[in-house]
Amino acid sequence: MYSYKDRLYLASGYLSGLSIIIIMVVVLAQIVGRMIGYIVPSAEDISGYCLAASIFFGLAYTFRDGGHIRVTLLIQNLPPKARFVQEFIVLSIGLLAASFICWYIWYMVWESYIFEELTQGYIPMPLWAVQLPLGLGSTGFLLAMLDAMATMFRGGLPNYTHHEDQVPMEDL
Amino acid sequence: MDLIVISLVLVVFMLLMLALGVWVSLSLVSVGVLGLMLIDNGQIGLLFGTTSWGASTNWTLTALPMFIWMGEVLFRTRLAADLFEGLTPWLSRLPGKLLHVNVLSCGIFAAVSGSSAATAATIGRMTLPELKKAGYSDRMSIGTLAGSGTLGLLIPPSIILIVYGVAAEVSISRLFIAGALPGLMLVFLFMGYIIVWALLNKDQVPQKDTIELSLAMKLKTLKKLLPILGLIGFVLGSIYGGFTTPTEAAALGVFGALLLAFFTGTLNLSTFSASLLGAVKSSCMIGLILVGAHFLTLAMGFLGIPRALAASIGNLDLTVFQLLAYLTLLFVILGCFLDGISVVVLTVSVVMPVIEQAGIDLLWFGIYIVLVVEMSQITPPVGFNLFVIQSLTGKNILYIARAALPFFLLILLALILIYIFPGIATYLPYSMTQH
Repeated sequence: MYSYKDRLYLASGYLSGLSIIIIMVVVLAQIVGRMIGYIVPSAEDISGYCLAASIFFGLAYTFRDGGHIRVTLLIQNLPPKARFVQEFIVLSIGLLAASFICWYIWYMVWESYIFEELTQGYIPMPLWAVQLPLGLGSTGFLLAMLDAMATMFRGGLPNYTHHEDQVPMEDL
Repeated sequence: MDLIVISLVLVVFMLLMLALGVWVSLSLVSVGVLGLMLIDNGQIGLLFGTTSWGASTNWTLTALPMFIWMGEVLFRTRLAADLFEGLTPWLSRLPGKLLHVNVLSCGIFAAVSGSSAATAATIGRMTLPELKKAGYSDRMSIGTLAGSGTLGLLIPPSIILIVYGVAAEVSISRLFIAGALPGLMLVFLFMGYIIVWALLNKDQVPQKDTIELSLAMKLKTLKKLLPILGLIGFVLGSIYGGFTTPTEAAALGVFGALLLAFFTGTLNLSTFSASLLGAVKSSCMIGLILVGAHFLTLAMGFLGIPRALAASIGNLDLTVFQLLAYLTLLFVILGCFLDGISVVVLTVSVVMPVIEQAGIDLLWFGIYIVLVVEMSQITPPVGFNLFVIQSLTGKNILYIARAALPFFLLILLALILIYIFPGIATYLPYSMTQH
């Protein structure tokens, strides 16, 4: 039913969703803990790291689904040929930006690893480990851009363009 | 290079990217990179790494995915139908009857969903067919929906207030408290207008009385409203009472929404994962925009543009009123092309020092900018609510915009009112959080 690629995109979405669930659980545990006089250690830090993980893990899924917003006002009525050229330029810029993001996020993770940095919260954790989801997520983002580019080289408009003209809640 | 030249280059570059259709978040990052390159900053990548880590691990920001998820869960339940059935018997005495259901359902739904497009879509799908069946004028049904759909932006918990609070470093609890009175004021303005309109246009309101229900029956319909009113009361009450932080209230809210969906039988694996993936899409999109905005703000700081802008505007000796009038104009123009969140983050990265220098209260400014964004949601060519209603009704977007015009003017009136009486926004937060 799903191709392996669809599964990867879904995995990106679900990993991000899982991080959101963890945030909820940690925050709820913190509230319950406060009532019974137990402090959940580093709760705020952990939910912060999960937030970063959920933002970055979800990049590929959101990208492919046309979730990242942009101004479509001027481009939506272009004739097909011009639209193709415009989309190619946009995707090239996107590829450049995603490469920049991916490279320097990994650079940050690598530096944290080399300098053996620890997180500053109540429970010290290796910083590179909690930064790892950002690296993985931004790599996924870059791969999603490359995937869209491959679609363009085969002569089609990328997947993200199919969804974005719809109302955000298409399943309503 | 001269600062003015640099600023112009960056503005033109930004507009080009946006017009071309580059994603807003990536445009922000690119403009930041270009700006730093123009002043030969050698550490662009390092700066990006640390700012994106700092921006995306912000504890206050964790409220965002929670509230978005809560909304996603709730609009997969029978909530919209329950609101309609529960509110209708109580509003049949007011002139304009069912039209008020539009406003109040939107107001209540807005309180839980925080998103204006979701509010208009969910409530509209429920109420528009009913209003048509009962014989109300299309124009007024659509207008009330478009106008009150925007309530989602202001009535707490509001996503856009969280974004503003995080970007401008203003307390989110206080912003939520500040949004309450202006939100209620808008609801009353809308309902007041409907009453006056209904009295003046008796021919366009169906006169045949809806069946009068006995008090017992009315109370029975009230039961449908209880779960949702309870949830809102609980979430907002725990923030307003100072018992929890907004993030904690949001986590409780999601939990409550899931329970509510479970007990009404609308929670299953597919609605659960659909709501979760919906939350992923919105919060990931907003998250990346905030990362980009954070980086751009930093780049702007290095360039010194906001400071220079504040200084040169300071030299103009504008009154606060003139400054706000120019800013409103700018926001309305920006809002013609960009969505509300992008307008807010762009503004915060450049205009904040100007606002502070003019002595404008940042809390008040948050409410003010949200009201302006609300106006822009129902102005063509890019008004998200207009698009939503267009896809619901199939009507021409200009027709919808004209139907929404009275409500645009009412929001403008609200804007003028909070300018003249800033206490509407600031009295509660400052008196409730003295300690």
